[in-house]
Order: sequence, then structure tokens, then C-alpha cells
Amino acid sequence: MTERTTELGTPRRAILKGAALSGLIFTIDGISRVLTPAQAYAADLPLTILTAAEKRALEALGETLLPGATAAGLAHYIDLEIAEAPGDCLLFARIVDVALPYAAFYQAVLREIDGAAVRQHNAPFADLEPETQIAFTAAMRDGTLPGWQGPSAPFAFFVLRNDATDVVYGTVEGFDKLGIPYMPHIAPPRPW
Amino acid sequence: MVTTLDAVDVVIAGAGICGTMLAAKLATAGKTVVVLEQGPNRAPSDLISSQLWSRRLKWNGLPVELAGTDPTGYRFNTGWGVGGSGIHHYAQWPRLKPEDFHTKTLYGKAVDWPIEYNDLRPFYDKVQAEVGISGDHQAEIWRPPGDPYPMPPLLTTPQADILAKGFNAIGLRTAPMPLAINSTEYKGRPACIYDGWCDAGCPIGALANPFVTYLPTARQAGAEFRTSATVTRVLTDRTGKRAAALEYYDATGHLQIQSASLIILAANGTQNVRLLLNSARAGHENGLANRSGTVGLYFMAHLAMPTSGMFDQDLQNDLGVTGGALLNQDGYGKHRPNGPFGSYAWAISSARKPNDIIGLANTEGALFGPDYDRFLKNAARGLATMMGIGEITPRPENRITYGDGKDAFGYPAMKIVLSADNNAKALAAIIRAEGIKVMKAAGASQIWAPDAVNWQHLVGGHRMGADRRTSVCDSYGITHDLPNLVLTGTGIFPTEGATHPTFSSHALTQRTAEYLVKNWSGIA
Repeated sequence: MTERTTELGTPRRAILKGAALSGLIFTIDGISRVLTPAQAYAADLPLTILTAAEKRALEALGETLLPGATAAGLAHYIDLEIAEAPGDCLLFARIVDVALPYAAFYQAVLREIDGAAVRQHNAPFADLEPETQIAFTAAMRDGTLPGWQGPSAPFAFFVLRNDATDVVYGTVEGFDKLGIPYMPHIAPPRPW
Repeated sequence: MVTTLDAVDVVIAGAGICGTMLAAKLATAGKTVVVLEQGPNRAPSDLISSQLWSRRLKWNGLPVELAGTDPTGYRFNTGWGVGGSGIHHYAQWPRLKPEDFHTKTLYGKAVDWPIEYNDLRPFYDKVQAEVGISGDHQAEIWRPPGDPYPMPPLLTTPQADILAKGFNAIGLRTAPMPLAINSTEYKGRPACIYDGWCDAGCPIGALANPFVTYLPTARQAGAEFRTSATVTRVLTDRTGKRAAALEYYDATGHLQIQSASLIILAANGTQNVRLLLNSARAGHENGLANRSGTVGLYFMAHLAMPTSGMFDQDLQNDLGVTGGALLNQDGYGKHRPNGPFGSYAWAISSARKPNDIIGLANTEGALFGPDYDRFLKNAARGLATMMGIGEITPRPENRITYGDGKDAFGYPAMKIVLSADNNAKALAAIIRAEGIKVMKAAGASQIWAPDAVNWQHLVGGHRMGADRRTSVCDSYGITHDLPNLVLTGTGIFPTEGATHPTFSSHALTQRTAEYLVKNWSGIA
């Protein structure tokens, strides 16, 4: 990461040292463990709300939207947040007026992604060739997927692209990848 | 079971900027004050520097339905809990201008305010001295008369400097944005450290949020804040001629009635309208304070037209303040021969983090995959951004009304209907074209300027006016129909100018507070 100085005189890296990195509490075989979302992904921990098929679609789309989203724990992030009380939820969906419950929005979108992929290509999204996934995602963005049902496809693209950005670049680690000093007044207790 | 609580002098619905300010002023004047807040209690420790965690500060009440051809966002513009949206506001504090108060007289458009700039000027000055604003009143050539700012302007960043060159190259001017953010220590509050986390909340108190402005004063003066208190109606006395109490449900779902001599609605324009409509009764069949039939009508938002450009150098765009270091109001003149009506202005050089609505990510909304990743990496160093803010004229069809859903207590949810007319779209196009011109002149290698109409701020819905047939309240927010029911906030604005509304809302509230104290016996 590049050390930068500024005419503002702010010690840009000094405050970053105060940023605490912690993890989320996952219960595995009755034992609570603190893991980062990326560790939860690496350990292939089961999700609580999203189904296996929804997880596959989410990870495949997330990786198409922003490389690194899957390994950063996109599926575990969304699965955990849609289980939260709305007041504690950190999802981007919250501030763009997605209707409650958020789980219904994600499940409808993910089911329709696979539904549209099957109708168009006879296979769920995760099983499409990378070039086909890219074309499908562009059509989702542009609202041109034939027969799409449920939440608006361009809006779903917008929300999920922001979710992917949140997990890849919206954390202390993510800022560091972009060379941006985090400099928190109050560091987040965990990535999310 | 209903509990009727001992009467107090004042009960206020909403603990945001206006609610806390009125609580401070009225409690200091010796009144017993209770503030009812639907959300939780808040403290500076809640202001976590994260675009994810700060989402908890946004509205978490009953969802508001959004309609019209160009619907606005709701949750992003609102708050939740003590401090309200004041906790995460950007502290851009320019003043309305004299012509903003007289659009009907001067231009034949919209409606005049029942007051003029000179009526409000002393209160701008007073709030400015109490709260503290950084700026340069001489460089800000568009500024109406007023006391000099108590603090010098904040420093600029390379992002601001390069954009200023773009403005200057095409004959436009810039000045420091007047910001309610300390450039120096002010009244025991520290100076800003330019870390760019304003919109996640400023826990150090350099930015004038309610935690460091009027909330401490209110509490010290004895105002009582009850949180998780969901106000559902304003109750009247038997005659229906005076407001008598606020009805609310506490955290356990227990119904309470808080009587008071003076009832103040400070819950934001949409929720104020909801309470008025919910409170319909015999003699007020269309809702309380709605004999004019205008409660909920003439809703406005500001056009929000961002322009961004990519530059080769490191602009340190993560630093500075979210609201922007510089201001341009060369486009404030409302009348354009053969062009759209309305003012516009630029907030220049906003500190940006990678994610969230105003983050780097949403500058370029179409890219995905490796191209998007590459964009983000470049943007983290070289993206410069400015936001054009434009005025729309109030129209009755843009309105706050009941929606389809209901809350847990059986009261209807709200709906905001907003459509941009041809005038608004034409003004948005002018803003967009000018933004592109500035970016080109500044030397941007790539430019992004969405042509879709976007919005910020929620304004109007229960407007003030001299004519009780076409407005809801007078210039103090006192409703025409009930002399002890007061409305506050941006909902009372009859027009909006192209000015961020928070400072004007403070000034109006200051004026109301002084009037209420001075004329207490005739009102309460």
C-alpha cells in the first residue's frame, strides 16, 4: 500500500492502526467460533436462510459482478444480514428502500436468476459458461432478459453489485486493497 | 389499557434537529418538555466509521411507498433515533437568498413565503454563532447579507483544487462551501481532521450534529426524551379547536397519552403529514390542520445531478468532507429567457469512500467484472466528483399521502408521489451539461454524468403561507386551524431554492422558539 502524505497535515496511516479486525460468530456442531466471512466461506459453513441453490446462484453472480466477492464471503454476509432484525441490518438494500423482509427480495431475485437461465440456456446460472454468464448479467442490468419475473432485474443488478462491492472493498481490508487509508474515528467491531 | 400521563408544557414528536433544538430552547425558558422519539437512544459511540454500519442510522420505521414517474428515495434521506438525520447530515449550510422567498412576485412562479430574507437573517446569524460555521463570506459572492462566518474555511484537497480550475477555465467561480464543521476549535469542540467519514457520523463533534449542538442543552435544561415511543395521533380537546395531547405506544406496545399545552410535530415532513392525517376527527374530517386540503401537497425534493471525472493524479478523494469543499452558485439566477425556471448550484469535491450510494462504486453503474474492478482501483486515486443541486417548483400532484400498508397499530403507511415535470427535466439537463463542461475544462480523461433525474432532500408537504386557504401553517409553523399545534422542519418550506435545507431549518426553528417563548401565554 502506498504511503501518502497530504498538505492537510493528517497522519494518514497513523489512525488505521486503531482499526480492529474481528469476525462473526458461527455455531459449528454446537460450538461457537469467531470467523471472518472469508473464513466462513473457506470452511464452506452452511447458510441459515438461503438454500444451496440460492447460494450457488449468488456466488456465481457475485463473482461475475466483482471478482473476489465469493471468497470475501458474499453469501455468508447476505445470509447473516437477512436474518437480522431490520434495525440491525447492514445491507445496502436497507437504504434503497427495498421492501421488507429483505430475505424475500434476495430469494425472489436468486430464484429468478436461475429460472431465467434455465429458460434461456437450460441450465442454472452457476453452470453457464463464463461468456454466457457475462452476457446474461449484462442483459439483467439492461432489463432485457426475456420473461423475467419478480423484482426489477436492473434494480436487482444494482443492489447485488453494491453488495459485492461492500464485501470486497467496503471493509478495512477492502480499503487497504485499494490503497485507501481507513482512518476510522470509531473502527467497526467487525467487517459487518 | 391507556395510561394518561401528567400534563407538561410542551410535547414534541421527533428528536431530530428541530425537535432537539426546540426542546433546548423551550426547556431553557423554563418549560417542562417531553420529546417522543420512535427510534432508539443514540450516542456518539454509535457513529461507527463504516459505510455498512452507518446504515443503522437510517429510517427503520414503517416503510414508505415511493411512487410517481421519478420517485425519490426515503430511507437514505432520513434518520432513526435521537438526533435523526442530523446525525449523518453533510453540514452544507448555505443560506436561502432573498429571491427564494418571492418567486411568485418576482417571476410569477410557485408561491411567496409569508416572510422575507430579512425576517430570517437575524436567526441565521444567531444559529451560526451558536453552532459555528466555517466559510469565507467575502469569497462567497452570492451570499446574502449576514454576519461573517465565525471560523475560516476548511482546507481544500487536490480534488477540490483541480475542479476549481475547471470552473475557472470556463468563467465560473468557486468559494469555500459554508460548512457547519469546525475548521478550528469552536466552543470546546475540536477541529475537523478531514478523514471523510461525515456521512457515517462525526463522533468527535467537529460536525454540528445534535449530539454537540442542542441535545446536551435540552437534557441539561430538563427536557425528557422517551425513545421507542411511536406517536400515532394528535388528540384535540372536546371542541376540536385546540390540540390537547400526543397519543403514542411505548416499547412494550402500551398506549400512552401525553397531554401538553403546546404540541409540536418535528418528525420530518412525511411523518408529520401522517400524524395529521391519522388525527382526523369530527370537525377535522380530512385530517387535523387540513381545512385547506393542502396537508401532504406540494412535496419537493432537490434535483441531485452528479458529475464525475477521472484524472491521472492522486486526488486524495477519500479525504476532506462528504459535503464538498467548494461551492458554486453562478447558476442561482432563476429566470432564463427561453429556458427552464429555477436555481441550481454545485457542491464541489466530496470525500468519497469505495462503497455505498455516494461511493466510488456508483459513479459508474454499468460496469461489472474485471472492468469494474479496474475502474474502482483507478477511481480510488483519480476520481473527482461534484453534485449539482437544482430547484423544482412545488406542484400539488407531488404529494405525501396514504399508501397501501398498515402499521402494527392499524394506521396506514405513507406514500410519496414525485414526478419531474418538463421544467425540472430541462433544468437537470442544463446542470448536467455544465458539469460535463467543467470536467472537460479541468482535464478529466473520462466523464460520468447520468442523465436520469436523481433527488436529494425531502421538502414541503405541510407548507407555511399567509393564506390559510392554500397553506397549513404560518411562518412560525403554527397551524392555521389549531393555535397550539406547531409544525417544524423542511416540511413547512413553500419553495426550496437550490440550497441545502438544514441551516434554513435551524434558522426557522430558532425563530419559532423565540416567538413561542415570547408569546407563550397567547399560544399555549
